[in-house]
Amino acid sequence: MLTYVARRLLLLIPTLFFVALITFGLAHAAPGSPFDKNPDRPLPQATIERLERLYGVDRPVPEQFALYLGNLLRFDLGSSLVKDRSVADIIGSQFPVSAQLGLQALFLALAVALPLGVISALRQNTAVDYGSMALATVGTTIPSFVIAIFAIYVFAVNLKLIPIVGWGTPKHMILPTLILSLGAMAFLTRITRASMLEAIRQDYVRTARGKGLSEQMVIVGHALKNAMIPVATIIGPATAGLITGSFIIETLFSVPGLGREFVVSIVRRDYPVIMGVYLLYAFLIAVANLTVDILYGVLDPRIRVR
Amino acid sequence: MGHLRSVVALVLTGAFVLAACQGQGPTTTNPITQIGEGQPDPNGALTTNLGSEPDTIDPHKASFVGEIAVVMSVFEGLMTLDPKTLRPVPAAAAKEPEISSDQKSWKFTLRDGLKFSDGTPLTARDFERGFMRTCDPRTAGDYAFVLYIVAGCEKWNTMDVRKASASALDAAKKAVGINALDERTIQFDLIEPAAYFGSIAYMWVGMPVKQESLDKGGERWTEPATYIGNGPFRLTSWKHNESMVFERNDGYWRGAPKLKKWTRQMLNEGAVAFAAYRNNELDVLGVAAEDLRSVESDNELKGQMQDVPGSCTYYIGFNATRPPMDDPNVRLAFARSFDRDQYVKEIQKIGAAANGGFIPPGIPGYDKDDAAQRFDPAAAKASLAKSKYASAPELRNVKFTYASNARTKTRVEWLQQQWKQNLGLEVVPDPVDSTAYTQLVKKLETTPLMFILGWCADFPDQQNWLTTVFHSTTTVAKTGWKNEKYDALVRQADRESDKARRDALYQEASRMLSAEAPAAWLYYVTGKILIKPWVKGVTTTALDSILSQFRLWEVYVTKHS
Repeated sequence: MLTYVARRLLLLIPTLFFVALITFGLAHAAPGSPFDKNPDRPLPQATIERLERLYGVDRPVPEQFALYLGNLLRFDLGSSLVKDRSVADIIGSQFPVSAQLGLQALFLALAVALPLGVISALRQNTAVDYGSMALATVGTTIPSFVIAIFAIYVFAVNLKLIPIVGWGTPKHMILPTLILSLGAMAFLTRITRASMLEAIRQDYVRTARGKGLSEQMVIVGHALKNAMIPVATIIGPATAGLITGSFIIETLFSVPGLGREFVVSIVRRDYPVIMGVYLLYAFLIAVANLTVDILYGVLDPRIRVR
Repeated sequence: MGHLRSVVALVLTGAFVLAACQGQGPTTTNPITQIGEGQPDPNGALTTNLGSEPDTIDPHKASFVGEIAVVMSVFEGLMTLDPKTLRPVPAAAAKEPEISSDQKSWKFTLRDGLKFSDGTPLTARDFERGFMRTCDPRTAGDYAFVLYIVAGCEKWNTMDVRKASASALDAAKKAVGINALDERTIQFDLIEPAAYFGSIAYMWVGMPVKQESLDKGGERWTEPATYIGNGPFRLTSWKHNESMVFERNDGYWRGAPKLKKWTRQMLNEGAVAFAAYRNNELDVLGVAAEDLRSVESDNELKGQMQDVPGSCTYYIGFNATRPPMDDPNVRLAFARSFDRDQYVKEIQKIGAAANGGFIPPGIPGYDKDDAAQRFDPAAAKASLAKSKYASAPELRNVKFTYASNARTKTRVEWLQQQWKQNLGLEVVPDPVDSTAYTQLVKKLETTPLMFILGWCADFPDQQNWLTTVFHSTTTVAKTGWKNEKYDALVRQADRESDKARRDALYQEASRMLSAEAPAAWLYYVTGKILIKPWVKGVTTTALDSILSQFRLWEVYVTKHS
């Protein structure tokens, strides 16, 4: 087990290298310059060229990449080309916000989706089932920005229950957490229901019933454990997706998170920020997948990690 | 350059300003002051919106409205602008500058006893350090170009710091004509007479900075602990991407400002900011065109709305080096064949028809009687008939290139319709990615036949419009238009020290520009803002966005629940 984890962690190095290589290449291939700030009033070309020289953006891309890797090995992510901040500073102050919001949303989604999915499967084709599936469909199909704007209007402007501006108190976090979790919640409910439906029809469940186990034991001990494997598979990437921040939620609820920073850095061609955030995301997804792989072994003893 | 990013980044004044500055030649703006009965709340707190987080609040790098707004609340220059006339008046300087007889040497003397907000004395050396930082190639600020009028600044600023030797850089630095003569006097040596230098001395590029701030803060000196200025407010907290909090500087030389605390939020989604204003979480808000109908249908909001002028002009540029736009008759025909009043009413919603010259109302040089481009389909057709392309194939399917987005698409399609109707010409809209668009208009070889751009005042002077944008050596937009007489006129005006003669020269040049039409003036940016009834003492001018630059120490709020 330990050697497996060690090997997977070592494999992270080439993975991150290729992520860095591809991201660097694509970011620099996109036309435009980080110093082109205002489309209505472009800076003179001479000024831009001077800025590019100063920040070394005029060097050949392979040379820039080599320099970047060298700095990366010394854990230096560089400084933003458009803001007066270092990449480490941006990630350090913005990522915890996104991570907190994402984890809250994930736990909320799991807390609702797992029971709801199981109950829907057990009470298939009843009102409970139809109700939860209708909710899941709504949660998947209505875009979060529509729900967000609607919720702001109802709860903040009309009912004046919650503030719009600011961040940090539970009152500020309720709506963004809830709305961010909706998509994952809907999806997880459907997956849980579907795999639970499949599990309760399996032979081992019939066997469990046959040997006289209580219904509760059958469902929790046998069916649910197996039904969790597909759910665990998607929880990995879903977690990575949630904690890296949502541009839409962060913009609408003025959350000072990393998701917004990331999208803006791409639009602005802020190469060091793009690279830093991309590498962080790649790392998180790799770790999430590794965790899921280890979790498989716990859920199903037949799956052995080697 | 150009500190206006969107139409919402606006200015505060009254509706009557437009009427008040219909005078000839140089114009003045009447600032509006919201006078109230209520007494200032001694613990008054104001909340406004800064939009997205500033890239930088370093005075020597700032270039966008929000960045400059922060700088101007925390720092104060040698000069400031009189809100009534937009002419420079002493601020940190004790009196008007002493100008040498050849107009090339400007000497400013500081007030007695000036202090930074941390209580340490402020000297001419701090100003010297600030101006020099703008010229420093390692600072690499967007606005360094305004100091190129100072001897040696351009040479030092454009050096390649990677290749140049340390001694060469040092020599270039020593040659810059910015020198503190003693603790209270600073002298500038210019490369040529420049009557507008007083206005430049008001700008963020010349804000004083403490050596200690730079040493202690390094790259991060703009964080609250080391971001120490000499203006009415102190930055006390900056939560990145969230908000900035300012508190009054009790040691400000004019006396402590009336506001105790001023929070600037960073909401960059218009609909959310509008909801926050309605929820009393923001006290002032620029109205976006899409919210205008909601505001007008609500009596309370409608009563809080004010019209404000701006400092920008949007125009349709022509590539004057390529057929058919190399013929002024063709350009003028296009310029005269769309109804600007109707454009503003139907498309822009918030704005003013550009029925005068290039310079917008509220900025010195606005010329309402410049009728060269006024809407007149008959004259436009006559102009077209006179052109050498009268019935040539070049006139068919002229391409109109624009940065692809929904708003500009609507603009271009409306214009296309007008030209079809009034000129019988088919123009082909050509949307391109906005980053690609920016690249296109920079080089004459790639400048499209027709394109849309805007220009905003950097400082209130004709030089910043007529010379900076349309002199043939411009680095702004490459129309390729070159007229020797125009070039000579604006350069003569730049150096002229007699104000009346200077204004007359610029006006002559400005009218020539409209008649030659390398660009067709589309609209002047104006705005509408919402302001809560408890916010008082707000003074603004055409240059000022929402509570961002002038007389901030007079703003107060009355007690309210």
